[in-house]
Amino acid sequence: MAGREVLRPIVLAGRFFRIGALNELQYRANFAIQVFQSAIALGTGLAVLALVFSQTTELNGWSEPELLVVMGVHILMGGVIGMVIQPNMVRLMEDIRRGSLDFILTKPDDAQVLVSVRDIQIWQAVDGLTGAIVIVVAVAQLGGAFGLGQALLFGLAFVLGGLTIYCFWLILTVGAFWVVRIDQIVELFEGVYQSGRWPVTIYPGWLQVSLTFLVPIAFAVTVPAQALTGRLTPGTLALAAGFAIALMAFTRWWWRFGLRRYSGASA
Amino acid sequence: MPIASANASQPAIHVADLLKTFNVPVREAGLKAAVQSLVHRETREVRAVDNIGFDIGAGEIVGFLGPNGAGKTTTLKMLSGLLYPTSGEALVLGHVPSKRESAFLRRITMVMGNRNQLQWDLPALDSYELIRAIYRLEPGAFRTTRDEFIELLDLAGLVNKPVRNLSLGERMKVEIVGALLHRPQVLFLDEPTIGLDVTMQKRIRSFIADYNQRYGATVLLTSHYMADVQALCRRVVVIHHGKILYDGELARLGAQFDATKTIGVTLKDGEGDLSAYGEVISSEDGRVTLRVSRADAPEVATRLLRDLAVADLTIEDPPIEDVIERVFASGSEGPP
Repeated sequence: MAGREVLRPIVLAGRFFRIGALNELQYRANFAIQVFQSAIALGTGLAVLALVFSQTTELNGWSEPELLVVMGVHILMGGVIGMVIQPNMVRLMEDIRRGSLDFILTKPDDAQVLVSVRDIQIWQAVDGLTGAIVIVVAVAQLGGAFGLGQALLFGLAFVLGGLTIYCFWLILTVGAFWVVRIDQIVELFEGVYQSGRWPVTIYPGWLQVSLTFLVPIAFAVTVPAQALTGRLTPGTLALAAGFAIALMAFTRWWWRFGLRRYSGASA
Repeated sequence: MPIASANASQPAIHVADLLKTFNVPVREAGLKAAVQSLVHRETREVRAVDNIGFDIGAGEIVGFLGPNGAGKTTTLKMLSGLLYPTSGEALVLGHVPSKRESAFLRRITMVMGNRNQLQWDLPALDSYELIRAIYRLEPGAFRTTRDEFIELLDLAGLVNKPVRNLSLGERMKVEIVGALLHRPQVLFLDEPTIGLDVTMQKRIRSFIADYNQRYGATVLLTSHYMADVQALCRRVVVIHHGKILYDGELARLGAQFDATKTIGVTLKDGEGDLSAYGEVISSEDGRVTLRVSRADAPEVATRLLRDLAVADLTIEDPPIEDVIERVFASGSEGPP
């Protein structure tokens, strides 16, 4: 029974995904637009990379195929954010503002789970797929042995990174319980997220720290990319796991704190 | 109703000394005050719900009346677990609502006439499927309930269309079905017919009555349409400025707060001056309407029939809207 409860978020997300997908499949234009957007983003990314490597053969210890891995992970994680995290958080902000969160709170299920999985933008999966292809191509270019162990390590680092980014978003969104208008965080995040195109290790120290703990892009992109390029140390992975767990615990507490404020229990 | 009498000993909803206060910021008009409020914010305590108490038996439909800002929605929110009471006691089906236990939430529902819970871009049927997943309803029973409701509200052609393509009335119907799929025992309905045309209002009303009969559900309803209240509720609770002004039978509300009757008279030979018989409220198309005190009504009617050539005469209670208005007016002056 406890096992079923742990899987509950995934079961619910699956339901929402299935129904969202069935409906979105009717709108082929949206699909075409998304493919177009993804193609432009990919083209720009590749052009910039080519430009950099026309001047030099490596960037702070990262070779061209390695940076292509980083780009692939960046696109893949961007796809996950655009597909699940961002739409749900934007909707949560709207619901808090308009008072329609009440419907979620009168449901006999975990409200945090419900607000986190109910809106899934399936065409963003195009970005996910693009990212995956870029990763496969880049890993092939790297040559060398790529084993199952490395793939699993990447999977783990990627999930931890995704959870960290989710927590980051939810922490900011819950702020809407106090400050009603925080829509700008979407644009702000998108801007900062672009810095994840490059490994955070190329940035100066203060920026590295910020991109690791303040806006956890290092955990979301650089660390999984390190797993694929054989740079991930056990220490870094442990830090990523510890940070993700601590952040999830804090997010849970913060969410409940926000709800208490919403229902007037803290007053 | 058999279910009502079976549980009569324990009320479905029990409220005692329930209080909810909000701290609202106050400041004077003008720039200086605005700047001052940045540094030192003054707040004032507002009692949205002020020590109210009532019991509602299982299976009862009770109308919850009051002008805007009277505390109706705040009370409903406290009873459905959305707002935490400042003090006092609220029990719904034996649960403390603010704990928001799953067993409690499974047995209640909330309908807000001005808000939607169904997914805007999806057909209602898909949203119902999600509701089934959330409430973990058994597929067979879920389908039976869903199809029954769809038939009762004549929704067969509508549940396949995206909700955004439905008219306001159609949307409300599919919303209500969504809110009742888990067959709740307590319904909190906040203005369920707001903005709907008369036919649609009737349809929704009869559906609520039917649901109440069928499942013995308890209903607490707020509405600005007195027709809703008259059709559904034998009992009303009137609230104003957070306090209860009246709790009892709707039929007796008039007797308590509005000790008048209206007498409508049509004279055979056109209009005449009837101000000697009572207060003339209106006079048009040969029909004069008088307001007289409840006690004098029979005597005035007798005199009218005796003195004048009367073609038609009726004695009626004043319209419920007028009575309610008087109740609210009395609340502003303090309870009678």
